Amino acid sequence: MHTVTLTINDNAVVAERNLTILEVAERAGITIPALCHVKGSRSDNPCELCVVEIAGFEKHGLKSTLDTAGLFCACSTVAQDGMAVLTNSPAVIAHRRERLAIISQTHFGDCKAPCNLTCPGQINVQGYIAHVAKGEYEEALRLIMERNPVPFSVGRVCPRFCETRCRRILVDEPVSINHLKRFVADWCMSHDVDLKISREKPSGKRIAVIGGGPAGLTAAFFLTRMGHDVTIFEAAPKLGGALRYGFPEYKVPKDVLDYEVNSILKMGISIRLSQKWGRNFTLQDLKDRGFDATFIGIGAGVSQPLDIPCAENTHVYTATRFLRAINEGRVLDVGRRAVVIGGNNIAMEAARSLVRLGLEEVTIIYPRAKVEMPANQRNIREAENEGVQFLLMASPLDICGQANKKSRIKLGLIRMKLGEPDKRGRREPLPIPGSNHDLYVDFVVSSLGQMAVDGKFKGGELESLLDVSPRGTLAANPRTSQTSVEGVFAGGDAVTGPKSVIQAVVAARRAAENIHAYVTGQAKAAAESRFNFTRGKSFDDVDFKNFDGINIKLRGKMPERPADRSTQDFDEVKLGFTERMARREAERCLSCGCTAFERCELRQLDIEYDVNINKTGMGKIPLYTKEQSHPAILVDRNKCIFCQRCERSCEYDALELRAASVDKYGHPLGLEIIFKDNCVSCGKCVDNCPTGALNKKSRIVPIQAEAVRRVRTTCPYCGAGCQIILMVKGQTIMEVTADPDQAPNYGALCVKGRFAHDFIQHRDRLKHPMVRKNGVLAETSWEEAIEVAAKGFFDLKAMYGPDSIAGFSCARATNEENFLLQKFMRTSIGTNNIEHCARL
Amino acid sequence: MTNSIADVMDSDVIFIIGSNADTSHPTIGLRLHQAAARGARLLVADPRGTDFARMADIWMRVNPGSDVALLNGMMHIILEEDLWDREFVAERTENLEEVEIVTAKYTPAYVEKITGIGEEQLRQAARLYASPGKRCSIFYGMGLAHHATGTDNVKSVANLAMLCGKLGVPGGGINPLRGQNNVQGACDMGALFNTLPGYSGLDKDDIFSKYEKLWGVTLPRRKGKAATEVWDGIMEGEIHGLYIMGEDPVLADPNALHAVRALEKIDLLVVQEIFMTETAKMADVVFPAACYAEKDGTFTSTERRVQRVRKVVDPPGEARPDWRIICALSDKMGYQMNYGSAEDIFNEIALLLPQYSGITYQRLDKGGLQWPVPNQDHPGTPVLHVGKFTRGRGLFIPEDFTPPREMPDGEYPLILTTVREIPRYNFDSMTGKTKCIDELCPECLAEMNPVDAGKYGIEDRTWIRITSRRGSVMVRAAVNEKTQQGTVTVPYHYAEVPINNLTLNDLDPLSRSPQYKICSVKIEIVKEEDLS
Repeated sequence: MHTVTLTINDNAVVAERNLTILEVAERAGITIPALCHVKGSRSDNPCELCVVEIAGFEKHGLKSTLDTAGLFCACSTVAQDGMAVLTNSPAVIAHRRERLAIISQTHFGDCKAPCNLTCPGQINVQGYIAHVAKGEYEEALRLIMERNPVPFSVGRVCPRFCETRCRRILVDEPVSINHLKRFVADWCMSHDVDLKISREKPSGKRIAVIGGGPAGLTAAFFLTRMGHDVTIFEAAPKLGGALRYGFPEYKVPKDVLDYEVNSILKMGISIRLSQKWGRNFTLQDLKDRGFDATFIGIGAGVSQPLDIPCAENTHVYTATRFLRAINEGRVLDVGRRAVVIGGNNIAMEAARSLVRLGLEEVTIIYPRAKVEMPANQRNIREAENEGVQFLLMASPLDICGQANKKSRIKLGLIRMKLGEPDKRGRREPLPIPGSNHDLYVDFVVSSLGQMAVDGKFKGGELESLLDVSPRGTLAANPRTSQTSVEGVFAGGDAVTGPKSVIQAVVAARRAAENIHAYVTGQAKAAAESRFNFTRGKSFDDVDFKNFDGINIKLRGKMPERPADRSTQDFDEVKLGFTERMARREAERCLSCGCTAFERCELRQLDIEYDVNINKTGMGKIPLYTKEQSHPAILVDRNKCIFCQRCERSCEYDALELRAASVDKYGHPLGLEIIFKDNCVSCGKCVDNCPTGALNKKSRIVPIQAEAVRRVRTTCPYCGAGCQIILMVKGQTIMEVTADPDQAPNYGALCVKGRFAHDFIQHRDRLKHPMVRKNGVLAETSWEEAIEVAAKGFFDLKAMYGPDSIAGFSCARATNEENFLLQKFMRTSIGTNNIEHCARL
Repeated sequence: MTNSIADVMDSDVIFIIGSNADTSHPTIGLRLHQAAARGARLLVADPRGTDFARMADIWMRVNPGSDVALLNGMMHIILEEDLWDREFVAERTENLEEVEIVTAKYTPAYVEKITGIGEEQLRQAARLYASPGKRCSIFYGMGLAHHATGTDNVKSVANLAMLCGKLGVPGGGINPLRGQNNVQGACDMGALFNTLPGYSGLDKDDIFSKYEKLWGVTLPRRKGKAATEVWDGIMEGEIHGLYIMGEDPVLADPNALHAVRALEKIDLLVVQEIFMTETAKMADVVFPAACYAEKDGTFTSTERRVQRVRKVVDPPGEARPDWRIICALSDKMGYQMNYGSAEDIFNEIALLLPQYSGITYQRLDKGGLQWPVPNQDHPGTPVLHVGKFTRGRGLFIPEDFTPPREMPDGEYPLILTTVREIPRYNFDSMTGKTKCIDELCPECLAEMNPVDAGKYGIEDRTWIRITSRRGSVMVRAAVNEKTQQGTVTVPYHYAEVPINNLTLNDLDPLSRSPQYKICSVKIEIVKEEDLS
């Protein structure tokens, strides 16, 4: 008999004799995890993850060697007739979890970089910086837009959470991440790049989006990508919301915003402008018109009123009303002196706008100290630079007093001091009795906070059912984005009150996912695991040895117009990085996150087996420096788990992996990875590394939970016909690998096949047809180029006969193309003068 | 290849002649090493001390260009010692008598004079290859083909394999290693001056009527000009227009300066390329083409395996796949080519080429198929000539040794031979764009034997000038034992060392292959003042 019959997880399996349990399971389509497995060889330091439980093992003549009796490594145990094998029993799972915990204890590195982890938008920050470093600006923007469809605006106004956690701070200064984002967006705009963002097939579902600001545009963008038919209803005559009517032109230029909005609309989104919810339509109307769900992203456009006597003065504006008037280009009579009451970001923009209107004095009044202002400190500094004055520890009392000849308004003020700390330690400002004084001004802007709605929503029955919080925001479940009305979702400032643009984007993206699940009835994709190896959660935890050999290189300074010029008009203040500055800045990135992220088997198994490395331990300090000496391969022994797959998968015996010692758990000490002289740089070891210990130097962009296409094709080099797998994201080939099961090369490749594909996207590629004019080759249209060539051949044929023309085909072109060229020569021209370079 | 790459694992003996698969076909080289490690015996004929040569059971360090004499000498011994496969020859071949006649004079002594291989080694080699009952495969590369006598070399290899009955079995066969990814396919597709697609020639009425009916035109039957002959055609005023798809003859052609002069003279040059090559710079019209990752199609590998090429990204700018450009040009010329996709073209190929008739894109999704694939249920043909030859009986065509066209003399005392390096490919327009490739081989070096170097006072990394009757280059020397005495070896990948300005454009009379592997040169040390 040549076969054995056994059971795996109670299913009968018939297999050839003399196969290991691992092989039998693999052929039966049953997955058994393994970190150290290489076909045909065994590690000296087995990972023991492939353990299986064999009931009644003694009767098969087996002896337990592992701690738990009955568990055996599937890679080294031969399947026998009548065996009952369990691959997922509790004992098996416990053993795997224990082994993974042990293996993880010496693994040291960051899965994701701190910038990625800190970004509320979970944007692959390290990834787009790396694309910039490689000059792949288009792909950088596409990567950003996978999660943020308004990079032009965010690149100008983001509070930059990421930069606060950039590890480069421990060396010198953080990478100017946000300037890089703006750079790629602007670069793509000025180069008129079509990003070719893909769309799913039409779902037949219609979604209404109320509000065309950052939240509404984001929700519309993602819902459209998912294949839904989206209509945006916007109360204003133009889209953009806070980006258009809140941020002044010097922060977000209108032409940039128009481009950004158009690039989203290009996806195929319907819009209804000047349609105010509650007046022009109601939620019920949307239902009646056949919308399957509604997203509310109306922002927080209602200002808290200035609650002091005589505030209804014509020269007193709320910040939103004022900024809207400015952004609509209306001329306001603002006089010579103005105050802005409030210390939030909107107050800063109002004050800076007033400076630009040519006022002599603009003063911000705030009842606390500057550091306590809710505005971003960067915005406060910018306002200060432009001449805005700050009257701190003061509060307005009234504006009822009689003005004098020189000004229109007498603003009564009182100075404040901080009271005793309350239970939470917060010190409320208290008026100092008798400290009253007056300020003579012409114009007052109040910026005291924003709401989505004052009171209840109006319009109809459904509107009245929408829950509103006491702060005047729309209540929605943060997880499901659902409001109190079925099928109505919400996100952004309307729900949270004023926050940053990126936070509105995140909320709207999440809402889009929820709406998609709701209208399609599919379950939402599981949230990405928060599992993360880290070199240190806080700066204090990070060992300085990590930065050995990194030299100080200060961040590039953003070119900007000097304040005395920039305050003369509303043109943009910050001019943006040049390409050279962007490349230099991108090269400052320390690439903390692991570029093996998407292929790391250790991480995947730790997650699958729910290993809590924060408890069981991970590497804390770098024991080894990264090695750059190999031309194509980067070695980081800190991540090595001593599985020996590199050494055992090398077909040339050109790699040596050594550990000075191994402790009783299998932790390696004193690791060495040596490429011998006979290494041909084929890169197979990298493709076989289960962690990021071996990396391709050129692969500096980490791929994180993003769609990657893996396409099998044929290597363009020698005649061996090796099958290669191109890993493609968007329009960029990220990496080349090979399938170990595919003929003719069975996973083997040479250095050309695995590495030499940079020519594809090289900037020297020919991009336009050319025709020689006046002795010089000049770019032209396809039409003209074809015309010139066709006419030329036609005339020669008429004059000298068909044999006066010859064609050279190409041994690198496809069969189809070779076939067609010979057909062309034999039919269109009428000659057998057709040849190729086979013999060259 | 008559056989497959994979079945080298079944070989008992591997005879490598004129090929260094380690550098030119690394993944095939790997399998050859593994076969050797598994116990296959290795017989190598090569002037160069390649890794295979040094690890071989028998390494015949032949004089360059003497392969026909060597192979005839081996056959002489095999006949003399009665090691040949009588049954195979009787049942499956014809014309053995001619072999007996021609090889009679190739006595070991005569062969030694030409090849430099002594009788003892030659006898051992002949016995090893002939090993009755064993599976013996032959691998050859451009080291055999790139000679003015390339066809003779190849025919002699075939004679040897038939004589010993080593064809039609796994682990045997004659296996040429094709230099470029789709040389096999370009030939299959009839991009050749002397045959319609599928090697059907230019003289079969039934084939012509099949094509003419499908294509709706009368096809020319006059034989065309080979690529290497076109240059003379231009200089002589016969050829006035040239359409070049993806080739760079300014760098690639032997005696490249001759090609440059021709391109300067031609009336209309249309070039279709992915980069602005030296040839494209001289064109009147340049069409920007898509590269392999930007289009669909198929390649046919050296083992006749038809495999898919797939579009994964868009071409840059306005670049288009070559086939679309050809269609547009043909339409404009008045001959309509209505193809909507590469697959449409492939279906026409399958309709016309018997070797491809069972292949469809759908089948190729699972993996490649080795032609001939006569119908859609046929699994492909890993080994050719099983049971009988395609033409019926295998025909022995013995050839006499002809010395290379240009041999060293007093004025040009050394032989120049050109080679490949692993990390680079052809003229480097593709590989040269990847950083690690430059780090792996930063510089073009001319290999010289220490004895020769000593004679000229050349040390490792000395700048030398190599000059032939046609041109000259400057390059630094690498002094090592790899290269045979009397020979200089230079890789041809480097634009800064355009070595094909020196090579000889003498052609093989049948295949019209150029003699890249041998020409005579002189060398001198470059004076310091000339280096700046």
